[in-house]
Amino acid sequence: MMRTIRAEWLKLRRSPMWPVFLILPVLPAVMGTFNYLGNLGILRQQWYDLWSQHTIFSADFFLPAMIGAYCSYLWWLENRNHNWNSAMTAPVPVFCLYFSKLLFAGAAVAAAQAETGVLFLVSGKLAGVSGQVPPMLLRWLLLGTAAGVAVCAVQLFLSLVIRSFAVPVGIAFVGGIAGAIALSKGFGLWFPYSLMPMGMQSGNPSGNFTCGTGPFLLSCVSFLIVFSIASVLWLKKRDVRSE
Amino acid sequence: MKALALEFYKTRGRKVWLVVFALIAVQLLWMLWSLRSMREQKLDTGWMYFLYEFPALNTLMMPVIAAVVASRLCDTEHQGRTLKLLKTVMPAGRLFGAKFLCGSIYMAAAAVFQVAMMLLGGSLKGFRGAVPVQKYLLYLLFTVSVSLTLLLFQQVLSLLAENQMIPLAVGLIGAFAGVFLMFLPKQLSYLLPWGYYMVLEGVSLEWNKAAGVVRYHYVPENWFGLAVLAAVFLVIYLTGRFLFIKKEV
Repeated sequence: MMRTIRAEWLKLRRSPMWPVFLILPVLPAVMGTFNYLGNLGILRQQWYDLWSQHTIFSADFFLPAMIGAYCSYLWWLENRNHNWNSAMTAPVPVFCLYFSKLLFAGAAVAAAQAETGVLFLVSGKLAGVSGQVPPMLLRWLLLGTAAGVAVCAVQLFLSLVIRSFAVPVGIAFVGGIAGAIALSKGFGLWFPYSLMPMGMQSGNPSGNFTCGTGPFLLSCVSFLIVFSIASVLWLKKRDVRSE
Repeated sequence: MKALALEFYKTRGRKVWLVVFALIAVQLLWMLWSLRSMREQKLDTGWMYFLYEFPALNTLMMPVIAAVVASRLCDTEHQGRTLKLLKTVMPAGRLFGAKFLCGSIYMAAAAVFQVAMMLLGGSLKGFRGAVPVQKYLLYLLFTVSVSLTLLLFQQVLSLLAENQMIPLAVGLIGAFAGVFLMFLPKQLSYLLPWGYYMVLEGVSLEWNKAAGVVRYHYVPENWFGLAVLAAVFLVIYLTGRFLFIKKEV
């Protein structure tokens, strides 16, 4: 297991992925802050409004697609140069192969969430938002990460099966939009792409967390397990096609 | 012509149409959703409402679709390592042009389907008044112009970068920036190609806060915006083509 993780690290160490994940949270933070300052007349809930300005678009539309792109990238590394043959014949269980990829995808999500949190605090201070920092901030970020990991599992499965770089990204993007609709209709728990905006409460940060933390985490974990099993089974049963 | 036919031959199994249809399907859902909650008195301004709403929807979705289509068309060459071969048998500039034309057909078709959907949806819902045909044709023209510029930009990135992560990330970030530009003063939208769906929007909204009324009205066509866009297009085309020809494969 450690060896696959280390191998994965070698592949990703110099990848252009990291800068992308670092830049992505900066955009909504900067623009969200400006938008917040421009609409002080309507937005009166201080930190809470700033939070929804920061996260509403990223959680709904862009983070799922970014995760999709990252997961595509992780498999794309194997698709190149006939690497599937060596990857599958390496003396490690395929589960480890899969898990190390999931680990890195999850780490990227967690890093992006941490950065979002830091940027939120910094821009709040800079924008002169008064009042107490919402105590739920940590929970939003953690639940967002949990949801993000579930999305990673879904996207890893899609990218594994579809073997194209762009199509799973498109699916994630469309899924994010559909997720926003599902969430507004109250089906958030049943749809993986709804979980991120739901957990981060980007739509109604000051409201209650309607479904409860338990069912929410249960939903994340179920998606995670189901799609992980599906991916591992796919890896085990399908013959590799290394064009 | 032969090069274009070959491009389509390469995409036959790649299901690029599915991407276009997925886009239309989501927009259809969105339209049905907004039509369902539409109140009776809004039927009068329905045709304007569509022209106001859809550019925003395009800003959000089209850049990603353009990125996916361009990446689908270009990634096949990276995967098959065929650029080396193709560049020896045909002028690289022609390959670039053929790829762009092929992608354009998909993007233009997406816009045509969208307009057809708007017209059909509006008629079925019973929007009052005749269809403002001229406005819708102009909307089609503007939408296609922006989509093609974005597609071109994505194609350049997809051809130059072997790692498709880069063009797709740029497309996503662009869509993101475009969405945020909607909330900022309109002049800023001129700065990024992703803002042009809004720059060229043909209907504007007046919100009378005191009376709580929303009024739509047509704005004069922004030919200046289109000219700027055309200039941007030309610059991207020429530099992109040049870089592609010079690229070592």
